[in-house]
Amino acid sequence: MRHVGGVYRRALVAQIRSITEYPADFWVMASAGVMWNLLQFAFLTVLFNAVPDVAGWDYHEMVLLSSLLAIAGGSTALFCDGVWSTGQMVLKGEIDYRITRPAPVVVQMATTHIGMQGFGEVGFGLVMFVYGWIGAGLGLAAVPVGVLALVCTAVIECALVTLFCSVNFWLKGPMSNFAFMFIDLQNSAMSMPLGLFPIGVKLVTLFVVPVAFVNFVPIAVLTGHMSGWWLIGTPVAAVLAVFAATVVYRFGLRSYDSAGN
Amino acid sequence: MTHGFAVDRAFATVAFKRRLAYKTQWLVALVLGGGAMLVSMAMWSNLIGSGSLSGYDWDSMRAYLIIGFVTATVVFGGADWHIADRILDGHIAIDLTKPVDFQRARAAEYIGSMASTVPTVVIGVVGAWLLFDPPGPVSPTAGLLTAVSFVLIFPLAFGIMYLSVLVCFWTKRYLGIMWLREALLGFFSGMMIPLAFMPSWLQSIAWALPFPHFTTTPAAIYLGRVDTAGALGLIAAEAAWTVGLWFGGRFVFRHAVKKVTVHGG
Repeated sequence: MRHVGGVYRRALVAQIRSITEYPADFWVMASAGVMWNLLQFAFLTVLFNAVPDVAGWDYHEMVLLSSLLAIAGGSTALFCDGVWSTGQMVLKGEIDYRITRPAPVVVQMATTHIGMQGFGEVGFGLVMFVYGWIGAGLGLAAVPVGVLALVCTAVIECALVTLFCSVNFWLKGPMSNFAFMFIDLQNSAMSMPLGLFPIGVKLVTLFVVPVAFVNFVPIAVLTGHMSGWWLIGTPVAAVLAVFAATVVYRFGLRSYDSAGN
Repeated sequence: MTHGFAVDRAFATVAFKRRLAYKTQWLVALVLGGGAMLVSMAMWSNLIGSGSLSGYDWDSMRAYLIIGFVTATVVFGGADWHIADRILDGHIAIDLTKPVDFQRARAAEYIGSMASTVPTVVIGVVGAWLLFDPPGPVSPTAGLLTAVSFVLIFPLAFGIMYLSVLVCFWTKRYLGIMWLREALLGFFSGMMIPLAFMPSWLQSIAWALPFPHFTTTPAAIYLGRVDTAGALGLIAAEAAWTVGLWFGGRFVFRHAVKKVTVHGG
């Protein structure tokens, strides 16, 4: 485990070093990460000038909801952006090389790239999180829950993106369409309270693809929209998501037959 | 260097066929655009109920969201990566040797690729019409002028995309540039939230940009929020942006292309 952690850390540091070689790209990407979330923030601010609440959620609660979504997206870009290349590497047979190295393939894949927009997304997401936290009247006593939410948000999101990218082991193609659709639908739907949607959407996001635990459940518990018991589900969802991603990726590697076969 | 329309048509046809070959992308675009539209429908249905907000009742909001789906699908469906990659990987050096106008050829390709989103748009609109039964255009003239403003979206989208792609002459990647452009377009076009909800200073900023013509202009004409003279004014502004961005693109390209080096020479 220590060896895997060391490989992961060194690979990420190497990627960060390479980023510094292209400062223009870094600033463009980081600005793009900030801009998306700045405009989401502007959207909420404009909306709440016209309405008092959305399905019972006030402005600061909605800002908290969006902030965790931003941090989740930024976390995948910073910690496992390379998994998006799974489809392309399967097609080209480029996983051969990684199978021969003494470290888990999924760890090597995750660290083949860093999404520089992640710096902007996580940075602005944290600003929104603190702003929403103070505005929603959450005190210092709730900080441990907030920290748990932040950690689990990053873990669940990274695991789910890895899981959806691994679909490309079977459905071959250069684009990670399933992961892309997952992220886009999540960004559309989960920036809103679940109360807006039919029961089917609630069940799927809570118990099938546990995307509600990325942002909705922790914020709903913190702001009193859901019972505190639901908070247990957040670390449980994180563990299950990591387990599922690891197992599915491993199965994917078993079906991998290199290029040209 | 100029070339004939037959060449434009050939570029557009090749780009159209190339995009149609990837049928999975139809499904992806439908899921993405349709998903966003359904979420917006759920939100605005909850917020508006039987009343109205900033001049939008549920009837007009339904039509507005469907128009937003159509324009977003077309605008975000163009093959901008193809052009960016040619600049980033140096293939532009070969393009420059060809007896065609680079900008015009890319415009034909881009518009051809945007046209390939039509199947997605048709399926999405038919589905939305069956599910939500939105009102029709306020008058036949409004319907016709909405169609004109929609057609102008194609060259206008190219103008904005082309200017942003030219930034690749100075960067190593295109993704961030694309996201910046799409974020600004999504917000200031009114796709995320109608401009009528914004404070007047933000509306002024939006109308000083070309972006509102991607959703607000066709929706305003369709819903009768402007009369015929107002609609013609909006269309004239849209056309002026199209022409201005075209020549802006030419100007920037003349400077940007000096960054191209062949074999380090």
